[in-house]
Amino acid sequence: MALDPKKHEMPAQDPQVRAHNFDEVALGYTEEIALAEAQRCLNCKNKPCVAGCPVNVNIPDFIMKIKEKDYEGAYQIINKTSTLPAVCGRVCPQETQCEAKCTMGVKFEPVGIGRLERFVADWHNENATEKAEAPESNGHKVAVVGSGPSGLTCAGDLAKKGYKVSVFEALHTAGGVLVYGIPEFRLPKAIVAREVEGLKDLGVDLETNVIIGKTLTVDELFDMGYEAVFIGSGAGLPSFMNIPGESLKGVYSANEYLTRSNLMKAFRDDPRTPIMKGGKVAVVGGGNVAMDAARTALRLGAEHVYIVYRRSMEELPARAEEVEHAKEEGIDFRLLNNPVEILGYNNPDDPRDPKNGFVTGIRCIKMELGEPDASGRRRPVPIEGSEFELDVDAVIMAIGTSPNPLIKNTTKGLEVNRRGGIVVNEDGLTSREAVYAGGDAVTGAATVISAMGAGKLAAASIDEYLSSK
Amino acid sequence: MYKIVRKKVLRPTVTQLEIEAPLVARKAKPGQFIILRVDEEGERIPLTVAGTNPEEGTVKIIFQVVGATTEMLNHVPEGGYLQDFVGPLGNATETEGINKVCIVGGGVGCAIAMPVAQEFHRLGAEVTSIIGFRSEDLVILEDEFNECSNKLIVMTDDGTYGRQGNVTVPLDEMLAAGEKFDMIITIGPLVMMKFVTLTAKKYDAPITVSMSPIMIDGTGMCGGCRLTVHTEEGDKMKFACVDGPDFNGYEVDFDEAISRGRMYFDYERHAHEETCNLYKMADNA
Repeated sequence: MALDPKKHEMPAQDPQVRAHNFDEVALGYTEEIALAEAQRCLNCKNKPCVAGCPVNVNIPDFIMKIKEKDYEGAYQIINKTSTLPAVCGRVCPQETQCEAKCTMGVKFEPVGIGRLERFVADWHNENATEKAEAPESNGHKVAVVGSGPSGLTCAGDLAKKGYKVSVFEALHTAGGVLVYGIPEFRLPKAIVAREVEGLKDLGVDLETNVIIGKTLTVDELFDMGYEAVFIGSGAGLPSFMNIPGESLKGVYSANEYLTRSNLMKAFRDDPRTPIMKGGKVAVVGGGNVAMDAARTALRLGAEHVYIVYRRSMEELPARAEEVEHAKEEGIDFRLLNNPVEILGYNNPDDPRDPKNGFVTGIRCIKMELGEPDASGRRRPVPIEGSEFELDVDAVIMAIGTSPNPLIKNTTKGLEVNRRGGIVVNEDGLTSREAVYAGGDAVTGAATVISAMGAGKLAAASIDEYLSSK
Repeated sequence: MYKIVRKKVLRPTVTQLEIEAPLVARKAKPGQFIILRVDEEGERIPLTVAGTNPEEGTVKIIFQVVGATTEMLNHVPEGGYLQDFVGPLGNATETEGINKVCIVGGGVGCAIAMPVAQEFHRLGAEVTSIIGFRSEDLVILEDEFNECSNKLIVMTDDGTYGRQGNVTVPLDEMLAAGEKFDMIITIGPLVMMKFVTLTAKKYDAPITVSMSPIMIDGTGMCGGCRLTVHTEEGDKMKFACVDGPDFNGYEVDFDEAISRGRMYFDYERHAHEETCNLYKMADNA
């Protein structure tokens, strides 16, 4: 049988339809497609894909199980190393990880590993009847700060080993960025809730509305009998560009915009939490968060949505599938453009004009690519005299975050780097004994899977530390 | 869920709640705030802590009914529960080195000013309090302020109680008479704080203002609470939730803060009307 050079396409909602609803865009492989796609895996001996995965999922083995139609067996293989398969199958940047290393990808398109992972996880969630059971306790207590991808992974791994784990979440719902940041149409919240329930079945205790650094400190956690602490407190203060007009009404950080829509459900028809809907919207940035914000704006009724990004498509860091989806939905990519000012309404004759202080536009300058910078990407350089204006009603800044200061400020002896990220060694250990950290709190804004990898590493280190104590 | 242990109607639109939240009660200091949600569909609103009882594990908040969420909050009975209650957030008011303080509170802001005044009194500072209200029927906490102030001046805009006029009038008089305070602390509507700051500026008197902008998480994640401060090194963006809520009054861009505070004005007015109508219908039924 000749090998299919192309990956099987992911069934998806029609772009015209999905641009106006919050239902999931990608519909998932059917069993038939999954079986056909699994046939494309060569089951190579050296398994380069596994090395490309931050948590080293045994990819060829789970795909072999799919070929055998043993989907639960496939799930169990993934679940050995990944706590959140249904999430990763949806949001991992596979094209730069496992699929980038796939042997098939040398000559053809790589195997659709992410899509197969999602198929297996969804199959398990629909068909598995056995609940996970809490293993026998080993008597050790561990505290996990934050219930995002790193915290959930760390908690899950430790709970499976018999640790009594408490997860402390500052917000009212568990899931961190999976709940407040990534929109419903890309990651349904029911999936996150199910993963969280799975952890509770393992005996993990989840405390919402507790802010470590405020409600309790790291030192108090030790006083309460926790023997180790993992800090996965995530992204912090949103970054702005420091250009005029960023305090105008209608300028949002992507964090605020997405939190209003996702966590606070402002996307509903009659929400309690307001958000600006409709009009023209410019999203500044080129990462996954920018794509999420742009596509959310569209679904909230925007008539036109721009992505304003200072580099070119080649450097654009968002996951390829999200960029494709955004283009199909009609997002207008204005590449090699950089904002220099946000413009606002001001009626000189009437200081009480209700329109005063609202955004009316964004002034940008065109850029060209120069020599490579420290990141290895070609540095964008402004083209003098090329300024132009876009008429918009809202501007969303999606240009990253800097780590949250609350824990650093209340934990003596916790070393942070110049950017405020918590410093850890190769085991995920901080400068404080028995305090580990990972995810965006360490690296600054990064991916779900890299945070999971950090949570996993820390869980292994904590296990080693406590079992040798 | 967080139980409302006691509910006291201070004025027709001003209510005091004591809420069971032991962890917050143990930690909260004057000047800090909490965020609550009334029910599982609710929005998150910040409210400043008006007092704590660590032994009992309760936190006191005082609020005025100004919008849909405070309307709903006002309808939760004593013994009822709130969905979420988290804190303490923000930094406590700085008290070090302040031996003589003037507290200027306006409206429901007096509820926030009160624990600050009490804290200074407890620390042995000389406390002068000026509290202002629109009208007699909105005057709150006079007895409490009396207990912790060496001098108390009550003002109403319409003269129906105390002295007639704005809180800036007696402040200006005192400063003009040569009174020196280590710090003036003002808490109330933005416009009032702006003018209290301008009054202090006339006499070069140091002033702290307590900002309460729109926010969602309150932990430094959303950036909705950002404000501009004008410093010697130029303009800086600050986040009220983690950098504040107290700021040097001279540095705050009040006009920008006032403008930003009105971002959802139409939406909020509409939502409040809708909510009131729903309660009216329920009452009639």
